[in-house]
Amino acid sequence: MFDFDATLPLMAVQFLLLAALLNVVFYKPLTKAIDERDDYIRNNDLGARDRLAKAELLTKQYEEQLAEARRQSQALIANAQADAQKIGAQKIAEAQQEAQSKREQAAKEIEQQKQEAMQSLEQQVDALSRQILEKILGAQLVNR
Amino acid sequence: MLNFLSAVSSLPLAKIEVGHHLYWQLGNLKIHGQVFLTSWFVIGLLVIASLAATRNIRRIPAGIQNFMEYALEFIRDLAKNQIGEKDYRPWVPFIGTLFLFIFVSNWSGALIPWKLIRLPEGELAAPTNDINTTVALALLTSLAYFYAGFSKRGLGYFKKYIEPTPILLPIAILEDFTKPLSLSFRLFGNILADELVVTVLVLLVPLFVPLPIMALGLFTSAIQALVFATLAAAYIHEAMAGHGDEGHEEH
Repeated sequence: MFDFDATLPLMAVQFLLLAALLNVVFYKPLTKAIDERDDYIRNNDLGARDRLAKAELLTKQYEEQLAEARRQSQALIANAQADAQKIGAQKIAEAQQEAQSKREQAAKEIEQQKQEAMQSLEQQVDALSRQILEKILGAQLVNR
Repeated sequence: MLNFLSAVSSLPLAKIEVGHHLYWQLGNLKIHGQVFLTSWFVIGLLVIASLAATRNIRRIPAGIQNFMEYALEFIRDLAKNQIGEKDYRPWVPFIGTLFLFIFVSNWSGALIPWKLIRLPEGELAAPTNDINTTVALALLTSLAYFYAGFSKRGLGYFKKYIEPTPILLPIAILEDFTKPLSLSFRLFGNILADELVVTVLVLLVPLFVPLPIMALGLFTSAIQALVFATLAAAYIHEAMAGHGDEGHEEH
């Protein structure tokens, strides 16, 4: 069971040769492949991270622009509404004023015509009352 | 006991043979042929899998590349956890090969019916159930952590022997011997014991009963590979970081 002989050194040499051979055909190429893959993945990962950061930056910028535009549009709308209200109020006031003045004018005209009518009526009243008197009392009495 | 069991057994699938080896003569050196045969199989499997995985490397991995990348990441995590982010990279091939070689050896011993291939003497089994293999790996680990210590700290590496107090010098020196000893015997003992238990059970009850033990053996084999690699990494880290890092105990 324990007989040592030349098997021992030969096996050692053979093992070292195997290690050297495997180093060439197994460890080196596959280690290289694994490392290259790691590099590739790391680079891709870095690139992706960069692009993601850029995309996030852009998103932020666009969102800011969007918020700015929204603010501007709201201000614009508020302005326009205020303007419209002002104009409307102005127009209403003008119209009311115009209506007022027209009404006053009409009232004045009516008053004037009333006056005129009254005047002419009064003149006619004189003539009519004279005629009535003449008819009742006779022309001699009246003209006397 | 073993002789008795092998005398009882006439089944070809379950024969207990410990200490029988297929000896090859190399000059005036004797080597265990069956260990090398299975280890070549393991090495071939690893190299073929690696070549298949790296033949056509894609950025999005699929199939065998995906699987081998999973294995590599597992090994890298193991080394990184033990040695630390800064220094682990040069040690990945050593620790990873330890893990892969031991793991595939253990599982090949447990999963592949080597007994069906007849050898003139001895039998094919996991390379890690031969003490020569485990001692070779453990000694390499020792050399590795000495190398790590010296290359990192120069001659200051020797300070670790007297660092908390010179009284512990003998124990610190003893540690350098117990580390490879425990590493090699743990692996060797676990794998051999597992194979023996399975063999004995198969001998007694050939059907179904050994299956849970075989599953347990698969589990132990994986754990042992992990433990060996983890401890090797921990020793290397300890040698590089200096003393005061005794957190990694043996399993």
